[in-house]
Amino acid sequence: MAGAANPEMVQGGGSSIPAQMGYTPDLQQSPSASRYSQASTSMDPFQQASLAQAAAMSRVGQGLTGTAASGMANYQNPYEDQVVQAALRDVSNQAAMGMNQVNSQAHQARAFGGARHGIQGAETLKGFNQQALDTAARLRQQGFTTALGASQADMATQLGAAGQLAGLGQQAFNYGKDIQNQQMVQGALQQQLSQALIDAAKGQYEGYTGAPSNALQQIISALAGAPSSAGQLAGETEKYQPGLFNFLQVAASA
Amino acid sequence: MSGGSKSTQKNLPKFYEEDLQQGLGFAQDVAAVGYTPYYGPDVAAFSPMQNASFDSTNMMAGAFNMPTADPSNYMPEPTTFANGIQGYSSAPLFNEAVDALATNRPGQKDYIDSFFVDPVTGAPGANQPSAQPVNYEMTAKRGK
Repeated sequence: MAGAANPEMVQGGGSSIPAQMGYTPDLQQSPSASRYSQASTSMDPFQQASLAQAAAMSRVGQGLTGTAASGMANYQNPYEDQVVQAALRDVSNQAAMGMNQVNSQAHQARAFGGARHGIQGAETLKGFNQQALDTAARLRQQGFTTALGASQADMATQLGAAGQLAGLGQQAFNYGKDIQNQQMVQGALQQQLSQALIDAAKGQYEGYTGAPSNALQQIISALAGAPSSAGQLAGETEKYQPGLFNFLQVAASA
Repeated sequence: MSGGSKSTQKNLPKFYEEDLQQGLGFAQDVAAVGYTPYYGPDVAAFSPMQNASFDSTNMMAGAFNMPTADPSNYMPEPTTFANGIQGYSSAPLFNEAVDALATNRPGQKDYIDSFFVDPVTGAPGANQPSAQPVNYEMTAKRGK
């Protein structure tokens, strides 16, 4: 039976997943992509379908309330570190170089530390500060737009992948179901063959045990057809029952 | 008018009467055989491929956390007969039913058995047809 055919099957209860699979679909948790890819290679089609459906449902469920804002940090933080701050460092370096040049010029003019030197330095720093603010604002606006677009694209990609995963899960389920149906059909053919052998043997047995009765039927048939011919061949016996008058005649003749 | 009466009686030919009596004797013997149970397989067991299909159904249900069922809890282990055919015989159920009849209605069972030969020893039954009283006149010797 089934238990004997697949001893690793856990019979009864809530689960019969073969132990060697090493994985139990958990509908309460969202399977990660790596978890899915690692497990799917050793799973049966139904487990693949179950896991794919759970993953797709989870991702689509998140999409019902989720926004692109949650994914923007993935792009904004590196952008802030790698682009904006780098640009501000460049501006700061340029400001330092500019101040060095102002200081140098003031020193050559023997005006270092004077009011003119102070005004020129302040104006120089003001220009670099404004350049830094403009650069940061421009870059951050670009970063926001880029991060928003990338996050939205990620959402669309993930939802599309979830849909594709659901489709693949359905495909895996259909594979398994088709194979299961084929097993049932072919198994029924095998059983029919065995049943035919059993019926044939049973028929022979009935023929053996019914042989006396069949022989009797042959005799009955032969006897049933005989009476007409037997009647024709039958002999006749005449019986004469004398009456009172006969006895009187005998007495008178005596 | 003589006052007497004349009648004509037809007689079966002797050969036919012998055949008839032989046939009746044979019928009596055949009727005493009684029921001959069949102890071979009646129903083929599920094939390995069908069992695999049952396993697949369990896998299908288990994958979606649905209840599964062990087919062996429903049907007993099949018996292997000649040629490796696996199946189920109704003989154990038949024996059980006859034993239950003997336990609950022994008189009725014994009466039924009395019409036939003993299935183990072959001894004639007390009430089998050939043991019934004969009161008719035989016009020819019985052929056996």
